Amino acid sequence: MHTLPQQLANGLFLGSMYGLIAIGYTMVYGIVQLINFAHGEIFMTGAFGALAVYTNLPSSMSIWAALPLMLVGGAIVSVLIAVGAERFAYRPLRNAPRLAPLITAIGLSLALQQAVFNWYPHATAGKHFPQLPGGPFHIGSVDVQSGDLFLLGAAIVCMIALGVFVRSSRTGRAMQATAQDPDTAKLMGVDTNRIIIIAFAIGGLFAAVAGVAYGLKYGQVKYDIGFQAGLKAFTAAVLGGIGNIYGAMLGGLVLGIAEACATAYIANVPGMEQFGGGAWAQVWAFVLLIVVLLVRPQGLLGERVADRA
Amino acid sequence: MTDLPIAAAEEAVAATATHGNRRTAPFIPLPLTAARATTLAGAVITIASTFMSWTYTTDFPGDLTVSGYPGGLQIMTLIGAILTGVVALGTFGLTGLRWLTPSRTNNGVLLLALATLGTTWYTVIDIAAKLGGLANLDPGGFVAFIGALVLFAGALALPLDRHPEEPADAEYYELGRAEGISAVVRGYAWLREARLHHSELRVPDARKLNRWLQRLVIVVVYALGLKILTFGLATDYSDIFIGYLIVLAVGVWGLSAGGLLKQFQQLTQHNKKFSSTVGVLTAIAYPFAQNNELWANLGASVLIVGTVALGLNIVVGLTGLLDLGYVAFLGVGAYTAALVSGSPFSIWSGTQFPFWAAALAGMGAACVFGVLIGAPTLRLRGDYLAIVTLGFGEIFRIIVRNLDGVSGPKVTNGPNGIAQIPDLSIFGYNLGDTHSVGSFTLGRFANYYLLMLVITIIVVLVFTRAADSRIGRSWIAIREDETAATAMGINGFRVKLVAFALGASLAGLAGTVFAHVTNSVVPDPYVFSGSVPPNSAFLLAAVVLGGMGTVSGPILGAALLYVIPQKLSFLSQYELFAFGIALILIMRFRPEGIIPNRRRQLEFHEDETPAPGNRPMGDDTVPATTAGA
Amino acid sequence: MRHRSLLILTSVLATGALTLTACGSRSDDSKKGGDNSSGGSKTTVVIGVDAPLTGANSATGLGIQYGVQIAVDDANAKNLVPGVTFKVKALDDKAQPATGQTNATALVQESDVIAAVGPLNSGVAQSMQQVFESAKMVEISPSNTNPALTQGKDWATGTKTRPFTTYFRTATTDANQGNFAADYAVNTLKKKSAFVVDDKQTYGAGLAGIFQGKFKSLGGKIAGTDHVNTGDTDFSALVTKIKNSHADMVYYGGQYDESELVTKQLKAAGVHIPLMGGDGMYSDTYIKTAGQAAEGDLATSVGVPVETLPAAKTFIDTYKSKGYPGDYGTYGGYSYDAATAIIKAVKTVMDANGGKLPSDARAKLVDAVQKTDFDGIAGHVSFDQYGDTTNKQLTVYQVKGGKWTAVKTGVYNG
Repeated sequence: MHTLPQQLANGLFLGSMYGLIAIGYTMVYGIVQLINFAHGEIFMTGAFGALAVYTNLPSSMSIWAALPLMLVGGAIVSVLIAVGAERFAYRPLRNAPRLAPLITAIGLSLALQQAVFNWYPHATAGKHFPQLPGGPFHIGSVDVQSGDLFLLGAAIVCMIALGVFVRSSRTGRAMQATAQDPDTAKLMGVDTNRIIIIAFAIGGLFAAVAGVAYGLKYGQVKYDIGFQAGLKAFTAAVLGGIGNIYGAMLGGLVLGIAEACATAYIANVPGMEQFGGGAWAQVWAFVLLIVVLLVRPQGLLGERVADRA
Repeated sequence: MTDLPIAAAEEAVAATATHGNRRTAPFIPLPLTAARATTLAGAVITIASTFMSWTYTTDFPGDLTVSGYPGGLQIMTLIGAILTGVVALGTFGLTGLRWLTPSRTNNGVLLLALATLGTTWYTVIDIAAKLGGLANLDPGGFVAFIGALVLFAGALALPLDRHPEEPADAEYYELGRAEGISAVVRGYAWLREARLHHSELRVPDARKLNRWLQRLVIVVVYALGLKILTFGLATDYSDIFIGYLIVLAVGVWGLSAGGLLKQFQQLTQHNKKFSSTVGVLTAIAYPFAQNNELWANLGASVLIVGTVALGLNIVVGLTGLLDLGYVAFLGVGAYTAALVSGSPFSIWSGTQFPFWAAALAGMGAACVFGVLIGAPTLRLRGDYLAIVTLGFGEIFRIIVRNLDGVSGPKVTNGPNGIAQIPDLSIFGYNLGDTHSVGSFTLGRFANYYLLMLVITIIVVLVFTRAADSRIGRSWIAIREDETAATAMGINGFRVKLVAFALGASLAGLAGTVFAHVTNSVVPDPYVFSGSVPPNSAFLLAAVVLGGMGTVSGPILGAALLYVIPQKLSFLSQYELFAFGIALILIMRFRPEGIIPNRRRQLEFHEDETPAPGNRPMGDDTVPATTAGA
Repeated sequence: MRHRSLLILTSVLATGALTLTACGSRSDDSKKGGDNSSGGSKTTVVIGVDAPLTGANSATGLGIQYGVQIAVDDANAKNLVPGVTFKVKALDDKAQPATGQTNATALVQESDVIAAVGPLNSGVAQSMQQVFESAKMVEISPSNTNPALTQGKDWATGTKTRPFTTYFRTATTDANQGNFAADYAVNTLKKKSAFVVDDKQTYGAGLAGIFQGKFKSLGGKIAGTDHVNTGDTDFSALVTKIKNSHADMVYYGGQYDESELVTKQLKAAGVHIPLMGGDGMYSDTYIKTAGQAAEGDLATSVGVPVETLPAAKTFIDTYKSKGYPGDYGTYGGYSYDAATAIIKAVKTVMDANGGKLPSDARAKLVDAVQKTDFDGIAGHVSFDQYGDTTNKQLTVYQVKGGKWTAVKTGVYNG
């Protein structure tokens, strides 16, 4: 079992990324009760936006100098798409039954994925993404890549910044109010449309950061990474208690660690030899989701709330 | 044809319709006689043009070079122009043709003229674009181009039924900041007033017609629908199919504006049993109407996805549960049937169930999985079901891939799937062989089409009986307001579980046939979204596009979503992209679907007048009538 | 009044229906007429192609389509079969069995289609075989590797039976490649312990299973096995397992989409052991995406290296100069050979029938294709009693200096 620290670290890094994406899901859900199915694709376009910036920079530029520009590029793409989707696709349907915006979201997700597949140059297969130099660093018995460090750092910074923003700023408190009761918030003078836009924008921003971190970690981006990532992030958000931003991060970490450990250790359990390994990891993640929902229906950090019909 | 939710609601809508403030105005100011003359002249010119040559070369699909004999896209123009001319004559009061526009509105003429204009201009522009320049047009092409324009202009000059005038002090919040600019507001108000409005016009009651004549009309309309359908399937080129779609979609819209569809609906409602019998007969006639295995294959595929979509409709449309992994239940049914089919690749390769047993086994297995998935999650908030079903849909494929004896117990033969599934044999009738029935031959796919038709009818019956029953009303109550329904004594969890399990079993039933039609089952098709049905996103889209909570809606939706991409080959790699965009647009402009459930339609358009008359362009709305074929 | 209206209605409808029927048939006739007049006295024979032309597998699928296209163009240019103009009708199966079956039906339905090349995926082939068998129409796949397609379900135990007489393939089965790779790993690379990973797809799982068996029987040790899902991107847990197993090589059964990530994450974790795979990995994209990490990795591929065959070089030059889309590297050559086998068989059938195409040309073609015997661009083309290619020529490539370099060419007999 001396690989355990390494596997936990693997899960931690993977989980931070799920968490970063899940925050976008959970914020939007918390405020408008919409499953923004296209969020995985917003993450993917963020990665491609950053890649586009990188390819257009002079090749002599070091990755450290390029990184801030890539983050900005990815963020612009993701935030524009997220906000545009809210403004033109979701807002007209705000009072429609819930299935309508969900179908719109599925359509948007397909359209975005296919748009990158068809029109981003040579994106039909995986695209090479620059990686950070240095590493692996040895911390005890654990090897850490520089991309992992960036990812972990980004996740921590984003979480703290978001926590402070939501708790302390005027807009943040308005967001809390809108999440609790949009109608009352409106009566109290909160411009709920603006708040919803901001929620989408923050979700897009975090997705872009996750997208860049993804590229740096794996050195490759592909048009279809959004679906898997979105599915995992959605699961993470539900695991942690949908609507709760810390829950999203926690859910992500739990999910990542569960997957890593399932890949590594399930096969060692007597009687389960055949159900271990990478092929079954997703199945175990799903089982974990079901178990959590059975035991704690509101999610790990979610509060039991009355159904707001 | 039975639009479940309640004829009463429909009548209520009809009763509240106002007839007092009918407002007619032309778009082009011309004296009435001149407008009528222009319209008719345009129709005649356009008809004449189709007997001329439109282009020099035979390179353009359908060969438009022949004089004196219309072909290819010219036929579309011809049909459009004749129809416009005849309907116009009827509207203008020519005895014997007046029945073509029961509501006496010119809107139908305008829309039919639009259909003619659309297909003609599309053809002419397509010729110029494909062959490189206007030089490729023969005089006939120019005549058609101008004729259609004259026709349309004439129709624009007719007094058209329009929306009531906007109140002077109207405020338009939807404009946002632009509301401050008076030019924008005026333009917007003008646009609102320009909308056609004919949905509330009164039509004479067709039910007063002689009973036998009513039935004759129903038969003729269904036969015509079958003819139109097979004609569309037979088009060899995307170009012709687009022309066909333009004429069909806008033309049907035009006929409905005139009130013919409303009358036809009255007839089918009045002769419910008769019209459903004719509908079924028409569907049976489909493989006999053409001896083409490819179309039979298409027909069988459409029925399979349509039936699965109908099963999903119970879950989504009636009960309002979000199921994002429905295709997995189809997979469960298909795999179960494959395992007991006697295929050499099955772990029970010796076992060969008769079809009824295999079908029951498939249903049972799917039902078990439905309960397994539903029981833990249906107690929770609705959105949790979405993630659980989505996850189930994904891991179904993964599990099936792993159960190959290498990375799991040997059940499904892993990625290789179960191949060489033998053809079904029912009462000694082997569905894999070609059979002769009288002078007709039924190939393999025609046989499966007919078998699938039986299954579809069973599912339709289950659906309608269930929806009209006590539990069906409970589903609708749950969909509308779960808290209120529970307060009324409905056991929400149990009722939802029944819906979920029933939906799953119906998908499993379709899956058993699916396995035999495709000869093999493999894990790959059971995905969330893909360019080929069945996949969960496609099924959901079929339900929503067709109309949630209705019977014909999902089947029609599945048919449209299946056939249109097949015919529009030029879309090829952009197909999924187009599908995504189409979903967004449909939700934006017609969220209640092509065949709206009355109740839902009111729900979606709370703040508007009921039943909006002007559908957006590009939304190929084909109302109910064509669904029977 | 009412009655008369109805009379008019019916007559209008009847006329409409008649017009439609008449015109429908006319356009068909004129189309065929046009073909005949433009081609003089030549008969047009169509070769169908079924492959995924759109979507994720489209690069490989388009390689099949244009491989056939070049073969047909060559045959027409050289007038290989006098009196016949060959044409290609390519249909897109989107890698879906049901669509593949529809396409097979469409090809069978069209009378001037004589045979088909395709499909790419073994799973799709399973749904198409029956349709072609019923129509007695030849289908040659340039890429299916699942042995059961030709040898029946008990192929592994040695009891081989051929399920479909009209199905052939120019690609070699997983069995040859996996064994050849294991042989090379043990005897040439002197590897002692391998970690075997596959992607749970027909191709990958089959290949990995055979490699594993052979590697063990040659005295190697299997340090561990694992399976991944296509579309996975994070292999860190797998990499840790491999590292901990102290294997001295990794064998990956699957496509380059995942293996390029595996090798990258493996090397980044400091595990500098080579990754070996089959022809699904033998692509420039693998090297481009994996970059430096690909150095030293190996892949087996069927046939001799193209540089050594002038015919193959011409093929690649033509493909490039015509600017065809898609990836000719993986299966383009086999597709060319498959189409050429059909073209040559058409000639045989016609020669036997006095230079004319017999009415039952499709059925006769089956026998003719079975007797195929010529040197194609990917090696010798002929089929054994199961419809498998007899070409057992294999080559091991290694990434050296950012390029696939042939390190061993040989024939697998076993």
